[in-house]
Amino acid sequence: MKVVPSRSSEWVRPVAPQKPASAIIEIDRVSQVFQTSARKDHLALSDISLTIEEGAFVSILGPSGCGKSTLLYIVGGFVSPTSGAARIKGQAITGPGPDRGPVFQEFALFPWKTVLGNVMYGPRQQGVRVSEAEAQSRSLIEMVGLKGYENFYPKELSGGMKQRVALARTLAYHPEVLLMDEPFGALDAHTRTRLQNDLLNIWERDRKTVLFVTHSVDEAVFLSDKVVMMSKSPGRIRQVIDIDLPRPRRRNELLLDPRYQKYVVDIERMFDESDEAGSAT
Amino acid sequence: MISPAALIRRAAPVLACIGLLAVWQVASLALKNDSFPTAIEAIRAVPDILGDKEALINILASLRRMAMGFGVAVLFSIPLGLLMGRSRAVAAFFNPLLMVIYPVPKAALMPIIMLWLGVGDVTKTLVIFLGVSLPVIYHSFEGAKAVEEKMLWSGAAMGLSPLQRLVRIVLPAALPEILTGCRTGLVLALITMITSEMIARQSGAGNILFNALDMGQYDTVFAMIIIVGAMGICLDAIFERIRARLVRWSEPQFDMPLSFS
Repeated sequence: MKVVPSRSSEWVRPVAPQKPASAIIEIDRVSQVFQTSARKDHLALSDISLTIEEGAFVSILGPSGCGKSTLLYIVGGFVSPTSGAARIKGQAITGPGPDRGPVFQEFALFPWKTVLGNVMYGPRQQGVRVSEAEAQSRSLIEMVGLKGYENFYPKELSGGMKQRVALARTLAYHPEVLLMDEPFGALDAHTRTRLQNDLLNIWERDRKTVLFVTHSVDEAVFLSDKVVMMSKSPGRIRQVIDIDLPRPRRRNELLLDPRYQKYVVDIERMFDESDEAGSAT
Repeated sequence: MISPAALIRRAAPVLACIGLLAVWQVASLALKNDSFPTAIEAIRAVPDILGDKEALINILASLRRMAMGFGVAVLFSIPLGLLMGRSRAVAAFFNPLLMVIYPVPKAALMPIIMLWLGVGDVTKTLVIFLGVSLPVIYHSFEGAKAVEEKMLWSGAAMGLSPLQRLVRIVLPAALPEILTGCRTGLVLALITMITSEMIARQSGAGNILFNALDMGQYDTVFAMIIIVGAMGICLDAIFERIRARLVRWSEPQFDMPLSFS
């Protein structure tokens, strides 16, 4: 068996239990077991503990099948963990709620509603008056760059536009945490870059807490304050890396920044090493 | 201006009808059979039936039973189908029942129902109800099953309760599929309506048809067939209009989505 050399530098450090005063989400020893068709248990997540600070942009990065989306669904309350618990502001998460707003790779828009109808749905459900909900929704639609498309149905929009609507729809009910599940995964490279830029611009205005699942190293480094690296079978946290790059981040500046490049290269190398270690066993 | 191709496309249904009538006319003239009147004779008998007060009352009574059976079936079947589609327990309970009922011709149940409930409106309406229910349940079930989980999660995050999600997300999301079932159901309602009146001959459009047959008035028989067929085509066309309006959002208005990120 090949021995994986352990790497360390000042910014790469192993998961350390930390309890800052501003923790908004705590994931406490969460494990998730799925029963596969062969009546065999599959350990999707193994003993995950993670604390997310309020206002932080945290990415969960890992190969497909490492359980990163499952972890997000547990925080969303869509899936309950086999063991362990997730908490928001100290309260145990028992189900979905408007304090956590999901944005899915599949967009999941309501196809029978127009763009405006989709964005207004959450505020209306929360009991906001029609006129007020409409005014708020219109300005959100403008913010995500879709002014003029208010009366279009999702079917008439491209993938990138649909994801903009989905983001506006979630922002409309003011969740405290945004849960983004590979939101740009279904988009082409160009659209993806544009949406990343726009997401950062929007995020830098009010700095909501974001939990962002992705398998793209560049995307994670570009967007995040903190990258949680996961490995698969079973899904575990490998490492948590602070991304110490200045904000506001501008893509053209960042791509030339050696610090950004070092983060990307180092993270990619760590994944490569774990792959080799995995294939050698 | 309408292009020649579009003109042909629009005129096609009319041409098909004329073609069918022409074949009928020629076949009838060639066969010279008393029980096979010509198309022209049959069409001439249509105004006689529609001008007869008694016949009109009968046809309206048929339509009323059909509307009742169809309406009750839809109101019953859509919620059941949606619940089956979203709850494995409900589906596990009803699926075997429906599988047993499905292949049974509903008219075959009529003698028993007549025995219990008589030959009146209740029996006929019940048979129509049975005929309509199955396709509507089936399509509602399939439609509800296919609703994207993430769409329901999005609703749950907004604070929708399970019942609200069923009514406000599953129902509209499954509507195109549900209406496909209703359209099949509407045609089945017409078929079971006539069948029920064949078996329990007391009143209705089917009764006029079979009375005329008994009396050897073959032009009236064929005229009734034309009337029932026309009713079916009209009902289907009206329903299709309503359907297209309700699910406009599910059909693309453009061939290509707008290219804009």
